[in-house]
Amino acid sequence: MNRKILAIAPLLVFAFVCVFLYQGLFANPREIQTGRLGQEMPAFNLPDLMQDNKQWTNESLKGEVYLLNVWGTWCPTCLVELGYLTKLREQGVKIIGLYYVQGYDADFDGPFDMQSLRSEVTDMLQRAGDPYQFNILDLHRTLSLDLGVSGAPETFLVDKKGTILLHHTGDINPRVWRAKFAPIMQELK
Amino acid sequence: MKWLLLTLSLFVSMGAFAQQDRYQFDNNKQAILFEELTKELRCPKCQNQNIADSDAVVAKDLRDKVLVLVKEGKSKDEVIDYMIDRFGYFVHYDPPVTPATLVLWVLPVLIVIVGFGFIVIRQRKASVKQTWSSDDEMLLAKLIEQNKRQEQS
Amino acid sequence: MIPEIGYFSLTLAMVLSVLLCIFPLWGAHTGNLRLMRAAPSLAIGQFAFVLISFAALIYASLTDDFTVSYVAYHSSSTLPWYYKITSTWGGHEGAILLWLVMQAGWTAAVAARSKSLPWVLRARVLGVLGFLGVGFMMYTLLLSSPFERLLPYFPVEGRDLNPLLQDPGMIIHPPLLYMGYVGLSVAFSFAIAALLTGKLDNTWAKWSRPWTMTAWGFLGLGLTIGSWWAYSELGWGGWWFWDPVENAALMPWLVATALLHSLSVTEKRGIFKSWTVLLAIAAFSLSLLGTFIVRSGIIVSVHAFATDPDRGLFILAFLGIVVGGGLALYAMRVSQVHSEGRYKLVSREVALWLNNIFLVVATLIVMLGTLLPMVHKEMGLGSISIGEPFFNKMFAIILVPFAILMGIGPLLRWKQNKWAFLQNKILMGVLASVVITCAWLFSSYDLVKPLTLLATTLAVWIAISTGIDIYTKAAVHGSLKEGLKRFTVSYWAMVLGHIGIAFIIAGVTLTSAYSVERDVSMKPGEIAQLNEYEYRFDGVKTIRGPNYSGHAGVVSVLKNNELVTRLHAEKRKYDIGMQFMTEAAIDAGFKRDLYLALGEQLSGDAWSLRIYHKPFVRWIWIGGVLMSLAGFMILFDKRYRTSAKTARKDVPESVL
Repeated sequence: MNRKILAIAPLLVFAFVCVFLYQGLFANPREIQTGRLGQEMPAFNLPDLMQDNKQWTNESLKGEVYLLNVWGTWCPTCLVELGYLTKLREQGVKIIGLYYVQGYDADFDGPFDMQSLRSEVTDMLQRAGDPYQFNILDLHRTLSLDLGVSGAPETFLVDKKGTILLHHTGDINPRVWRAKFAPIMQELK
Repeated sequence: MKWLLLTLSLFVSMGAFAQQDRYQFDNNKQAILFEELTKELRCPKCQNQNIADSDAVVAKDLRDKVLVLVKEGKSKDEVIDYMIDRFGYFVHYDPPVTPATLVLWVLPVLIVIVGFGFIVIRQRKASVKQTWSSDDEMLLAKLIEQNKRQEQS
Repeated sequence: MIPEIGYFSLTLAMVLSVLLCIFPLWGAHTGNLRLMRAAPSLAIGQFAFVLISFAALIYASLTDDFTVSYVAYHSSSTLPWYYKITSTWGGHEGAILLWLVMQAGWTAAVAARSKSLPWVLRARVLGVLGFLGVGFMMYTLLLSSPFERLLPYFPVEGRDLNPLLQDPGMIIHPPLLYMGYVGLSVAFSFAIAALLTGKLDNTWAKWSRPWTMTAWGFLGLGLTIGSWWAYSELGWGGWWFWDPVENAALMPWLVATALLHSLSVTEKRGIFKSWTVLLAIAAFSLSLLGTFIVRSGIIVSVHAFATDPDRGLFILAFLGIVVGGGLALYAMRVSQVHSEGRYKLVSREVALWLNNIFLVVATLIVMLGTLLPMVHKEMGLGSISIGEPFFNKMFAIILVPFAILMGIGPLLRWKQNKWAFLQNKILMGVLASVVITCAWLFSSYDLVKPLTLLATTLAVWIAISTGIDIYTKAAVHGSLKEGLKRFTVSYWAMVLGHIGIAFIIAGVTLTSAYSVERDVSMKPGEIAQLNEYEYRFDGVKTIRGPNYSGHAGVVSVLKNNELVTRLHAEKRKYDIGMQFMTEAAIDAGFKRDLYLALGEQLSGDAWSLRIYHKPFVRWIWIGGVLMSLAGFMILFDKRYRTSAKTARKDVPESVL
């Protein structure tokens, strides 16, 4: 009896492993989530991208449900999702942009060229659509680090109290919206 | 060799050659801690690289942050927790000890114990002393007789 | 035209493969000798057609035929000819074709060198190998053909071989690895054939052993070269990262090590039969699992091939059939296997059993570490990472009892040992090792951590213990020379293999403990010091290669004001694809490596440089090569080289 169990055990273990291997084929191993899920937006004080002398803090964002979309003009996938995000804006979804500056090294390069960045951004948003209520400039990527952002596009769903409900890495398209965001947006209503 | 290292450490502590180093620390412990941390923290965006080896923007940001934290005097655990708070467990190459990950340590130990136990039991069975009774003796004698008769015929 | 011939040839190979699978197995089942006799010729025919197919792909690469999609993606006209050939296995489809070449090759080799096997067993072994061939050929022909064309619009220039792969390492590493992976299928086939026949005797073990050891030797060599290549190529001085793809090759190697020890026990003592069979099935299963992991996209790795869910599904299904089938057969037939042996607790039998336990546990640790993140995420528990800290810790823990076992093991006799005799040899060895290691380490280094001391002592002890064993076994025969002459090839293989491991343990321990690095920014003329060497930055010059341009940092290395060597560390930018790559400069030595990598250009004319001093790092690869040589030595063992003529004379054909 004992021997029989020992004899069939390897086959059973293998079958068990195969189940997970099969599932693995349809999962995305590179998708990771922020460690801040369920917590409040971290404290920050960052300038507006387009307007001089305008600052944004975590407190000033409270009060409404919004999407925080991390993007940049250097990011090709962000360009692709701008269209759909603009549609969402038209449907009443509040979207705030967090501009992720890539490739600016404070020690190395000279002073930051705000002018050319602003015109680049304006250009792109005119072409592909502007889903943003406004954009926050994360020049030194400090808020991005505090949020666990590793690139773009990434989107956070934040509620009225400032709690981070969802973190999505990758572009937002109808499929992703239906599967991930829509159910939670419904609940919040 | 030993005296050379002693002399060298003297030089280093005097900062004679340390100016060249890209990362400047207050003491050697910090330097070692920085090296350990950058090897143990994972680049969130790369194809399986630690932040020491990666050229990605986020890896550089993490390295810079680790540098700041280490110079502030934070301990290894504190720095790792700081990163996990933001990026989740993914960012640390050593898994957390949770009920789900316990199998990583429990299963190998279990197999060692089972394996050892197995051979001890098997070996006991295998080295059981053979019994030899008088009946066996008689049977053997009969068989020898039979065989002798067969050979003669 | 040629690529089409390649595809067609592969189709013919597949037809032969199908016949090779069906005829012999049916023949063995029904006792039909004619069907069984078809096997060897089918095997050789299959190999010939696969070779033609492979040659067609190489021809397409060498002639810059960019109408072939694979050549367009993985080659370019600027590549030197030897890298054009290498590009044949630089991408997924071509690599699978290389696997097929190995598969057909090993099958043909078994067909040619198994003339003294009874036909039933021989037919079954070849039949199973044929089945494996069918699977891979179907995969290639249906889902993964390297002969797809890009007509009518094809590029005038290829995308070039990934610069990281334009290296001598790429020429030998994949072929060696595949020889190993596929070679383990021979052990697998022997095990399945034996289970089918119902005869798991010493003969089966004796036949399996040379094939297993050769495959193991190749796999070990592939791993060793891979480690050396990563070190030389990647620019960070690392030689093992516990990357899933590295682990995928390590796991079958660990199990194959257990297998070859277990085969030795089964051959000589007739025990552990069911475990040996299970190990034989497991080794190749891990090869297949490795292939699946690397090509399916379920893990994240720099090494991973581009993925496609369909392909992943096919490989998984094939894996399921082959491994599942093998394990099911095992479950059904293993009860017929009986091992009878008598041995005491302190015996070589028990030591080899424990050896297998440790190797299996090591494999388990690697498998858990590699697959748990995936399982963890699938169960909805979030992402975790398992890497160096975990694996190094666990391996350090099991190393200690394992190394102790390796020191004692060869001294043990079969069945039982007199503790008194054993005690002396062990004590002498331990004492000598402790003295030698302490003298060595404390005179060379300021700080000797306990683990470093322990691990190095164990490595030294393994070597010394082996030496003691040689001496005591030889001395029995009167003069030492007389005794040495009597040792079998098998014995020397064991000695070499164990010395190899000792080198690896010592190398890993010392390089991990005492490697130092400096990340510096230097202007031309400045000197940086690391240990006893001075590194003078002589500036940077522009360079131009066949398909790249870039900079080379020149550094003169001085010791006691004498020039030791001049190092050229390059940073290349490849013309096509515009990828950057660092080529580290290495001054290799038996006792240490000096390693230099060029970083970025900083302000002014300063550049960042990384300087590493790595003691005994070569020992790791020396050890790996020694172990693999030990594996290949078995090919010289007279016991396995019976001539076909004498063999056929002894076995009457009626006895099937």
